[in-house]
Amino acid sequence: MLFPTSGFLLFFLVVAAAMAMLQTRFAAKKAVLVVASYYFYAQWDWRFCFLLAFSTTLSYLAGRLIGATANRDRRRLILGIAIALHLGLLGTFKYLDFFVLSANELARLLGMEHELPFLEILLPVGISFFTFHGISYVTDVYRGDAAVCRNPLDMALYMSFFPQLVAGPIVRAAYFLPQLARPSAEPIPIAPAILLILGGLFKKVVIANYLATGLVDPVFAAPTSYGAPDLLIAVYAYAVQIYCDFSAYSDMAIALAALVGFRFPANFNQPYRAERLREFWQRWHISLSTWLRDYLYKPLGGNRHGTLKTYRNLMITMLLGGIWHGAGWKFVAWGALHGGGLAVERMLEPWLGRHARSPAARVIATVIVFHFVCFAWIFFRAEDFEVARLYIAGFGAGWSGGLQQAGPFMVALTLIGLAGQFTSGALFERAAIALARMPSWGIGAAAGIVGAAINALGPEGVAPFIYFRF
Amino acid sequence: MVAAEGGLPGNTAASSADAIPLKLRQSGGAPRQVLVLTLVGTLVLAVFASRDLSGWLDRMGGGPILEPIQRAAAQWDGAMERLGLVRPHEALRGTIRQLLDWEWGSPP
Repeated sequence: MLFPTSGFLLFFLVVAAAMAMLQTRFAAKKAVLVVASYYFYAQWDWRFCFLLAFSTTLSYLAGRLIGATANRDRRRLILGIAIALHLGLLGTFKYLDFFVLSANELARLLGMEHELPFLEILLPVGISFFTFHGISYVTDVYRGDAAVCRNPLDMALYMSFFPQLVAGPIVRAAYFLPQLARPSAEPIPIAPAILLILGGLFKKVVIANYLATGLVDPVFAAPTSYGAPDLLIAVYAYAVQIYCDFSAYSDMAIALAALVGFRFPANFNQPYRAERLREFWQRWHISLSTWLRDYLYKPLGGNRHGTLKTYRNLMITMLLGGIWHGAGWKFVAWGALHGGGLAVERMLEPWLGRHARSPAARVIATVIVFHFVCFAWIFFRAEDFEVARLYIAGFGAGWSGGLQQAGPFMVALTLIGLAGQFTSGALFERAAIALARMPSWGIGAAAGIVGAAINALGPEGVAPFIYFRF
Repeated sequence: MVAAEGGLPGNTAASSADAIPLKLRQSGGAPRQVLVLTLVGTLVLAVFASRDLSGWLDRMGGGPILEPIQRAAAQWDGAMERLGLVRPHEALRGTIRQLLDWEWGSPP
């Protein structure tokens, strides 16, 4: 069940009706949200619900055990077992066939004939996200950053809450669980939530879908059939597509959570306006980058043990961050590029700090960072290394052919997507304040009209969000 | 990803920045208003996006439960067409088709 579909709208209508009817009965509301979330998840494959329930039970029990134990070594042991089990689940369902494929390729290189069989395990949607939720919870309890969750219903809702279940944002236990302790005293921010939903719909249904089908997919499927200008525009278009696709999902998740009374953290903040690669990661998939910072980079030592170890830690974290996105060497390469880029940037920081202050230098820095990110996206989007190689080689093959696949509409969508990176946040605030003056039926009518227009502008049917496969 | 170290406030999850800033969370509504706006929005969509409502139901397949709903949706779409309410939808679809066919050197 995808957010921008009639099926989801009907689902949400039922949830909204239940929330309205239950009024102040907070525990009942949470129970309804858990049932709704499992129903939502079962729409992909009902068998996945058992996996989610197992992950939830594991986190809950580990949290209780850590909370009940004063002995530091035993607490660490329980934490280690819980994390190993979470990662074991993730590894089995997401990476096992990748490991088998890699082992078979290595065996072939070594001249061995025996091949390991593929298990062809179905990847459960959202497993990377709820695994990280579980790890976040047990680690936060171990560190004392989050209180032990004693209510199984709260843990079930934290792990399964439908807005973030299949593609994030990754919401930390220390951030979300306190919201489950008592109902929020704040009113529901209806106007900003509706704006986020409509903006998300436009980004996904119009910009991301058309760029994917009209330009990115055909060019990445056969890069040798296109000239360098098309290749260049297609990679810019992919940068816009993946941003519009993923940030649209995050915006809608944030809005849906808000409409049922919960807060989510920001997940994107105009990433392509970054002047440093480091800044890009402060603006792109923020919930993942801060997760990796706090649960991987810092435990590895962060930047506390000298320059070389800092570079090593950066590289390890980015490599694992890369492979988190998918079971493939191309994701490892993408992570390695970013890790290497961050390390080089750190090396150059004294020089950059002195020279990159003028407006012109800042513009140049933004352009360089954007192009580096685009270059890395080639590996991320290409089917495999060979396609990525052919794609990159295409830039040297000729610039005379002009644009064939990238028509004016595709270029315009790409430019609209990039222009959105430089708009002021005040614009959103002003629009939300103006919308908030309308009565709720008026907001509903306006949202219905704009939603119908976006629906008419989009192609028939909606492609799944890119991050569902991660 | 780790570049965020030191760049974001604090070092615990509890200090993560809320996606909807406090300023915009100070006014709003109650769950009943969310229900009202969702109902009204759904009705408006049923009127102005009746083409897609029908198409969506058709894509769900067949069966004894779905078929009467699909027939009702098709009749509803026909009624909206007779009232001229599908015209905005079709005009927008036509515009987007023109934009998709737009080529360099020719007007859209």
